Amino acid sequence: MRCAGAIPLLGSRPGEIDPTEEALLQAHLATCDSCRARLADVEALGVIVRDGLMVEAARRDLAGLADGVMARIPASAWRGERPGALGRARAFLRHHRVLAAASALAPALAALALYLYIDRGSGAGPAGLSVEVTSEDLAAIVLDTSDGPIILVGEGANGT
Amino acid sequence: MALPDLELVERARGGDPEAFRELVVRHQRRVYAVALGIVRDRDLAWDVSQEAFVRMHQHLAEFREDAAFSAWLRRITARIAIDVLRRERPSRRQEVEDVPEPELREAAPGVLSTALGTDPQQTVLRRELSGKLGEALDRLPEVHRAVLVLRELDGLSYEELAERLSIPKGTVMSRLFHARKKMQALLAGYAGIDAPGREGAP
Repeated sequence: MRCAGAIPLLGSRPGEIDPTEEALLQAHLATCDSCRARLADVEALGVIVRDGLMVEAARRDLAGLADGVMARIPASAWRGERPGALGRARAFLRHHRVLAAASALAPALAALALYLYIDRGSGAGPAGLSVEVTSEDLAAIVLDTSDGPIILVGEGANGT
Repeated sequence: MALPDLELVERARGGDPEAFRELVVRHQRRVYAVALGIVRDRDLAWDVSQEAFVRMHQHLAEFREDAAFSAWLRRITARIAIDVLRRERPSRRQEVEDVPEPELREAAPGVLSTALGTDPQQTVLRRELSGKLGEALDRLPEVHRAVLVLRELDGLSYEELAERLSIPKGTVMSRLFHARKKMQALLAGYAGIDAPGREGAP
Protein backbone atom coordinates (compact mmCIF):
# COMPACT_ATOMS: atom_id res chain seq x y z
CA MET A 1 0.00 0.00 0.00
CA ARG A 2 1.20 3.50 -0.88
CA CYS A 3 0.42 6.77 0.93
CA ALA A 4 -2.39 7.63 -1.47
CA GLY A 5 -4.19 4.45 -0.48
CA ALA A 6 -3.40 4.73 3.21
CA ILE A 7 -4.41 8.35 3.83
CA PRO A 8 -8.20 7.91 3.44
CA LEU A 9 -8.05 5.00 5.88
CA LEU A 10 -6.23 6.87 8.65
CA GLY A 11 -8.34 7.23 11.77
CA SER A 12 -10.43 4.14 11.08
CA ARG A 13 -11.15 1.98 14.10
CA PRO A 14 -10.55 -1.76 14.33
CA GLY A 15 -13.19 -3.61 12.36
CA GLU A 16 -14.37 -0.60 10.39
CA ILE A 17 -12.49 -1.41 7.23
CA ASP A 18 -11.79 -4.61 5.36
CA PRO A 19 -9.33 -6.82 7.30
CA THR A 20 -7.03 -7.06 4.29
CA GLU A 21 -6.94 -3.28 3.94
CA GLU A 22 -6.38 -2.95 7.65
CA ALA A 23 -3.37 -5.29 7.49
CA LEU A 24 -1.95 -3.38 4.54
CA LEU A 25 -2.50 -0.10 6.36
CA GLN A 26 -0.67 -1.32 9.45
CA ALA A 27 2.20 -2.59 7.31
CA HIS A 28 2.41 0.78 5.59
CA LEU A 29 2.33 2.70 8.87
CA ALA A 30 5.21 0.60 10.16
CA THR A 31 7.44 1.93 7.41
CA CYS A 32 6.07 5.41 6.60
CA ASP A 33 6.97 8.34 8.86
CA SER A 34 4.70 10.71 6.95
CA CYS A 35 1.59 8.60 7.39
CA ARG A 36 2.35 8.03 11.05
CA ALA A 37 2.55 11.82 11.37
CA ARG A 38 -0.74 12.17 9.47
CA LEU A 39 -2.37 9.66 11.80
CA ALA A 40 -1.10 11.67 14.78
CA ASP A 41 -2.71 14.75 13.22
CA VAL A 42 -6.04 12.94 12.89
CA GLU A 43 -5.90 12.03 16.56
CA ALA A 44 -4.85 15.56 17.57
CA LEU A 45 -7.72 17.03 15.60
CA GLY A 46 -10.13 14.74 17.40
CA VAL A 47 -8.90 16.10 20.73
CA ILE A 48 -9.25 19.69 19.54
CA VAL A 49 -12.77 19.11 18.20
CA ARG A 50 -13.93 17.55 21.47
CA ASP A 51 -12.24 20.19 23.63
CA GLY A 52 -13.23 23.07 21.39
CA LEU A 53 -16.90 22.20 21.20
CA MET A 54 -17.14 21.89 24.96
CA VAL A 55 -15.34 25.23 25.34
CA GLU A 56 -17.78 26.82 22.91
CA ALA A 57 -20.75 25.29 24.69
CA ALA A 58 -19.44 26.55 28.02
CA ARG A 59 -19.62 30.13 26.79
CA ARG A 60 -23.40 30.03 26.79
CA ASP A 61 -25.39 30.25 29.99
CA LEU A 62 -27.71 27.24 29.87
CA ALA A 63 -29.53 28.09 33.11
CA GLY A 64 -32.91 28.52 31.42
CA LEU A 65 -32.74 25.47 29.19
CA ALA A 66 -34.16 23.02 31.72
CA ASP A 67 -37.04 25.36 32.55
CA GLY A 68 -37.89 25.58 28.86
CA VAL A 69 -37.87 21.81 28.52
CA MET A 70 -40.04 21.32 31.60
CA ALA A 71 -42.52 23.91 30.29
CA ARG A 72 -42.92 21.94 27.06
CA ILE A 73 -43.81 18.69 28.78
CA PRO A 74 -47.51 18.51 29.59
CA ALA A 75 -48.31 18.43 33.28
CA SER A 76 -50.33 15.28 32.67
CA ALA A 77 -47.03 13.48 32.10
CA TRP A 78 -46.33 13.88 35.78
CA ARG A 79 -49.84 13.37 37.08
CA GLY A 80 -51.34 10.03 38.06
CA GLU A 81 -48.01 8.90 39.33
CA ARG A 82 -46.60 9.20 42.77
CA PRO A 83 -43.23 10.79 42.09
CA GLY A 84 -40.49 8.55 43.32
CA ALA A 85 -42.30 5.68 45.03
CA LEU A 86 -43.86 4.04 42.01
CA GLY A 87 -40.83 4.75 39.90
CA ARG A 88 -38.59 3.13 42.46
CA ALA A 89 -40.85 0.08 42.65
CA ARG A 90 -40.77 -0.25 38.88
CA ALA A 91 -37.03 0.12 38.87
CA PHE A 92 -36.70 -2.56 41.54
CA LEU A 93 -38.88 -4.99 39.61
CA ARG A 94 -37.13 -4.23 36.35
CA HIS A 95 -33.80 -5.08 37.91
CA HIS A 96 -35.14 -8.17 39.69
CA ARG A 97 -36.97 -9.96 36.95
CA VAL A 98 -37.46 -13.17 38.95
CA LEU A 99 -39.21 -11.21 41.64
CA ALA A 100 -41.20 -9.38 39.03
CA ALA A 101 -42.38 -12.64 37.53
CA ALA A 102 -43.22 -13.94 40.96
CA SER A 103 -45.11 -10.83 41.90
CA ALA A 104 -47.22 -11.24 38.78
CA LEU A 105 -48.57 -14.43 40.35
CA ALA A 106 -49.64 -12.62 43.50
CA PRO A 107 -53.22 -11.86 42.36
CA ALA A 108 -53.79 -15.48 41.38
CA LEU A 109 -52.46 -16.66 44.70
CA ALA A 110 -54.61 -14.17 46.55
CA ALA A 111 -57.65 -15.43 44.64
CA LEU A 112 -56.72 -19.01 45.54
CA ALA A 113 -56.39 -18.08 49.17
CA LEU A 114 -59.76 -16.35 49.11
CA TYR A 115 -61.33 -19.39 47.45
CA LEU A 116 -59.91 -21.70 50.07
CA TYR A 117 -61.01 -19.34 52.83
CA ILE A 118 -64.60 -19.21 51.52
CA ASP A 119 -64.57 -22.91 50.85
CA ARG A 120 -63.59 -23.56 54.44
CA GLY A 121 -66.39 -21.30 55.64
CA SER A 122 -68.92 -23.39 53.76
CA GLY A 123 -67.66 -26.49 55.45
CA ALA A 124 -66.41 -28.08 52.24
CA GLY A 125 -62.75 -27.40 52.85
CA PRO A 126 -60.26 -29.50 54.76
CA ALA A 127 -61.32 -29.68 58.39
CA GLY A 128 -59.32 -27.55 60.77
CA LEU A 129 -57.18 -25.97 58.03
CA SER A 130 -56.20 -22.40 58.79
CA VAL A 131 -55.09 -20.63 55.62
CA GLU A 132 -53.60 -17.17 55.52
CA VAL A 133 -51.90 -15.47 52.63
CA THR A 134 -49.15 -13.02 53.41
CA SER A 135 -46.47 -11.39 51.37
CA GLU A 136 -42.93 -10.77 52.45
CA ASP A 137 -40.69 -8.36 50.57
CA LEU A 138 -42.27 -7.78 47.20
CA ALA A 139 -42.91 -11.29 46.04
CA ALA A 140 -42.41 -14.02 48.59
CA ILE A 141 -45.82 -15.56 49.13
CA VAL A 142 -46.27 -17.72 52.21
CA LEU A 143 -49.23 -19.95 53.00
CA ASP A 144 -49.54 -20.49 56.73
CA THR A 145 -51.39 -23.72 57.23
CA SER A 146 -52.05 -25.80 60.29
CA ASP A 147 -49.28 -28.05 59.00
CA GLY A 148 -46.85 -25.16 58.99
CA PRO A 149 -45.92 -22.40 56.57
CA ILE A 150 -45.48 -23.20 52.88
CA ILE A 151 -43.40 -20.90 50.69
CA LEU A 152 -44.83 -20.78 47.21
CA VAL A 153 -42.62 -18.33 45.33
CA GLY A 154 -40.15 -15.53 45.91
CA GLU A 155 -36.54 -14.95 46.78
CA GLY A 156 -36.87 -12.71 49.80
CA ALA A 157 -38.49 -15.20 52.18
CA ASN A 158 -36.53 -16.14 55.23
CA GLY A 159 -37.30 -19.79 55.02
CA THR A 160 -40.17 -19.94 57.52
CA MET B 1 -24.36 11.88 46.52
CA ALA B 2 -25.50 12.26 42.92
CA LEU B 3 -27.73 9.47 41.66
CA PRO B 4 -26.55 7.53 38.60
CA ASP B 5 -28.22 8.26 35.27
CA LEU B 6 -30.09 4.96 35.24
CA GLU B 7 -31.65 5.64 38.62
CA LEU B 8 -32.81 9.06 37.41
CA VAL B 9 -34.16 7.48 34.22
CA GLU B 10 -36.19 5.01 36.25
CA ARG B 11 -37.57 7.74 38.44
CA ALA B 12 -38.40 9.89 35.44
CA ARG B 13 -40.18 6.93 33.85
CA GLY B 14 -42.20 6.67 37.03
CA GLY B 15 -43.35 10.27 36.69
CA ASP B 16 -40.82 12.07 38.87
CA PRO B 17 -40.31 15.52 37.32
CA GLU B 18 -37.33 16.38 39.52
CA ALA B 19 -35.47 13.29 38.37
CA PHE B 20 -36.13 14.27 34.76
CA ARG B 21 -34.97 17.84 35.39
CA GLU B 22 -31.78 16.51 36.96
CA LEU B 23 -31.11 14.49 33.79
CA VAL B 24 -31.57 17.61 31.70
CA VAL B 25 -29.26 19.72 33.82
CA ARG B 26 -26.66 16.99 33.97
CA HIS B 27 -26.48 16.47 30.20
CA GLN B 28 -27.41 19.84 28.76
CA ARG B 29 -23.84 21.05 28.20
CA ARG B 30 -22.83 18.10 26.06
CA VAL B 31 -26.16 18.02 24.23
CA TYR B 32 -25.80 21.70 23.43
CA ALA B 33 -22.21 21.10 22.26
CA VAL B 34 -23.36 18.41 19.80
CA ALA B 35 -26.17 20.62 18.53
CA LEU B 36 -23.94 23.67 18.18
CA GLY B 37 -21.24 21.66 16.47
CA ILE B 38 -23.66 20.62 13.77
CA VAL B 39 -25.96 23.62 13.26
CA ARG B 40 -23.40 26.38 14.10
CA ASP B 41 -26.07 28.76 15.33
CA ARG B 42 -26.42 29.41 19.06
CA ASP B 43 -30.17 29.96 19.07
CA LEU B 44 -30.83 27.05 16.76
CA ALA B 45 -28.60 24.88 18.93
CA TRP B 46 -30.65 25.95 21.96
CA ASP B 47 -33.87 24.92 20.19
CA VAL B 48 -32.35 21.62 19.08
CA SER B 49 -31.22 20.91 22.64
CA GLN B 50 -34.67 21.56 24.07
CA GLU B 51 -36.29 19.42 21.42
CA ALA B 52 -33.81 16.64 22.17
CA PHE B 53 -34.79 16.58 25.83
CA VAL B 54 -38.50 16.69 25.02
CA ARG B 55 -38.07 13.71 22.70
CA MET B 56 -35.96 12.02 25.32
CA HIS B 57 -38.94 12.25 27.63
CA GLN B 58 -41.27 10.90 24.97
CA HIS B 59 -39.02 7.91 24.32
CA LEU B 60 -37.79 7.13 27.82
CA ALA B 61 -39.77 3.90 27.82
CA GLU B 62 -37.78 2.72 24.78
CA PHE B 63 -34.40 3.30 26.36
CA ARG B 64 -32.65 0.00 27.01
CA GLU B 65 -30.62 -0.07 30.16
CA ASP B 66 -27.74 -1.94 28.57
CA ALA B 67 -26.98 1.12 26.43
CA ALA B 68 -25.12 4.21 27.56
CA PHE B 69 -27.69 6.85 28.39
CA SER B 70 -25.53 9.82 27.41
CA ALA B 71 -24.71 8.28 24.02
CA TRP B 72 -28.40 7.53 23.43
CA LEU B 73 -29.28 11.13 24.24
CA ARG B 74 -26.55 12.56 22.02
CA ARG B 75 -27.79 10.44 19.14
CA ILE B 76 -31.28 11.85 19.55
CA THR B 77 -29.71 15.30 19.51
CA ALA B 78 -27.64 14.61 16.41
CA ARG B 79 -30.67 13.26 14.56
CA ILE B 80 -32.67 16.40 15.33
CA ALA B 81 -29.78 18.69 14.41
CA ILE B 82 -29.33 16.96 11.06
CA ASP B 83 -33.08 17.12 10.39
CA VAL B 84 -33.01 20.83 11.20
CA LEU B 85 -30.18 21.38 8.74
CA ARG B 86 -32.01 19.48 6.03
CA ARG B 87 -35.25 21.31 6.66
CA GLU B 88 -34.10 24.84 7.32
CA ARG B 89 -31.05 25.28 5.17
CA PRO B 90 -31.43 23.17 2.05
CA SER B 91 -29.89 25.86 -0.10
CA ARG B 92 -26.67 25.75 1.88
CA ARG B 93 -26.13 22.03 1.55
CA GLN B 94 -23.09 21.23 -0.49
CA GLU B 95 -21.64 18.04 -1.78
CA VAL B 96 -17.98 17.22 -1.45
CA GLU B 97 -17.32 17.79 -5.12
CA ASP B 98 -18.76 21.30 -4.92
CA VAL B 99 -16.64 22.54 -2.09
CA PRO B 100 -14.23 25.25 -3.17
CA GLU B 101 -11.02 25.37 -1.23
CA PRO B 102 -8.74 27.63 -3.21
CA GLU B 103 -7.52 29.58 -0.21
CA LEU B 104 -6.55 26.58 1.88
CA ARG B 105 -2.99 25.40 1.96
CA GLU B 106 -2.55 21.82 3.03
CA ALA B 107 -0.88 21.45 6.41
CA ALA B 108 2.32 19.49 6.45
CA PRO B 109 2.00 15.98 7.88
CA GLY B 110 2.39 15.95 11.65
CA VAL B 111 2.37 19.71 12.05
CA LEU B 112 -0.72 19.74 14.26
CA SER B 113 0.24 16.85 16.51
CA THR B 114 3.81 18.08 16.80
CA ALA B 115 2.63 21.55 17.76
CA LEU B 116 0.33 20.19 20.45
CA GLY B 117 2.87 17.72 21.75
CA THR B 118 3.03 16.76 25.41
CA ASP B 119 4.94 19.76 26.74
CA PRO B 120 2.83 21.49 29.44
CA GLN B 121 3.65 24.86 27.90
CA GLN B 122 2.01 23.69 24.71
CA THR B 123 -1.33 23.33 26.47
CA VAL B 124 -1.62 27.08 25.87
CA LEU B 125 -1.58 26.34 22.16
CA ARG B 126 -4.10 23.58 22.66
CA ARG B 127 -6.44 26.02 24.41
CA GLU B 128 -5.86 28.55 21.68
CA LEU B 129 -6.71 26.04 18.98
CA SER B 130 -9.77 24.86 20.89
CA GLY B 131 -10.87 28.48 21.07
CA LYS B 132 -10.47 28.78 17.31
CA LEU B 133 -12.40 25.61 16.62
CA GLY B 134 -15.73 27.34 16.17
CA GLU B 135 -14.25 29.73 13.65
CA ALA B 136 -12.83 26.82 11.69
CA LEU B 137 -16.04 24.79 11.86
CA ASP B 138 -17.96 27.80 10.55
CA ARG B 139 -15.86 27.62 7.40
CA LEU B 140 -16.60 23.97 6.75
CA PRO B 141 -19.48 22.94 4.49
CA GLU B 142 -22.31 21.48 6.51
CA VAL B 143 -21.86 18.01 5.08
CA HIS B 144 -18.25 17.95 6.29
CA ARG B 145 -19.02 19.51 9.64
CA ALA B 146 -21.77 17.07 10.52
CA VAL B 147 -19.67 14.02 9.76
CA LEU B 148 -16.67 15.37 11.68
CA VAL B 149 -18.65 16.37 14.78
CA LEU B 150 -20.58 13.11 14.87
CA ARG B 151 -17.38 11.15 14.51
CA GLU B 152 -15.25 13.03 17.03
CA LEU B 153 -17.75 14.18 19.64
CA ASP B 154 -20.33 11.45 19.36
CA GLY B 155 -17.97 8.63 18.46
CA LEU B 156 -20.13 7.17 15.69
CA SER B 157 -18.67 4.41 13.54
CA TYR B 158 -18.53 4.58 9.74
CA GLU B 159 -21.61 2.38 9.54
CA GLU B 160 -23.53 4.49 12.05
CA LEU B 161 -22.56 7.67 10.23
CA ALA B 162 -23.70 6.18 6.92
CA GLU B 163 -27.05 5.24 8.42
CA ARG B 164 -27.50 8.54 10.23
CA LEU B 165 -26.58 10.69 7.24
CA SER B 166 -28.19 8.40 4.64
CA ILE B 167 -25.00 8.18 2.59
CA PRO B 168 -22.75 5.27 1.56
CA LYS B 169 -19.88 4.29 3.83
CA GLY B 170 -17.40 5.33 1.16
CA THR B 171 -18.89 8.82 1.16
CA VAL B 172 -18.56 8.94 4.93
CA MET B 173 -14.85 8.18 4.66
CA SER B 174 -14.43 10.68 1.85
CA ARG B 175 -16.20 13.45 3.76
CA LEU B 176 -14.22 12.71 6.90
CA PHE B 177 -10.99 12.88 4.96
CA HIS B 178 -11.88 16.24 3.38
CA ALA B 179 -13.22 17.63 6.66
CA ARG B 180 -10.05 16.71 8.53
CA LYS B 181 -7.80 18.02 5.82
CA LYS B 182 -9.54 21.41 5.84
CA MET B 183 -9.69 21.63 9.61
CA GLN B 184 -6.01 20.81 9.94
CA ALA B 185 -5.14 23.46 7.39
CA LEU B 186 -7.38 26.06 9.03
CA LEU B 187 -6.19 25.38 12.56
CA ALA B 188 -2.55 25.28 11.54
CA GLY B 189 -3.07 28.60 9.78
CA TYR B 190 -4.70 30.18 12.85
CA ALA B 191 -1.85 29.04 15.06
CA GLY B 192 0.85 30.05 12.60
CA ILE B 193 2.20 26.50 12.48
CA ASP B 194 1.44 25.71 8.88
CA ALA B 195 4.99 25.88 7.61
CA PRO B 196 5.93 22.50 6.18
CA GLY B 197 8.15 20.78 8.68
CA ARG B 198 8.49 17.41 7.03
CA GLU B 199 8.97 15.95 3.69
CA GLY B 200 5.91 14.90 1.77
CA ALA B 201 4.69 11.44 1.12
CA PRO B 202 7.12 8.93 -0.35
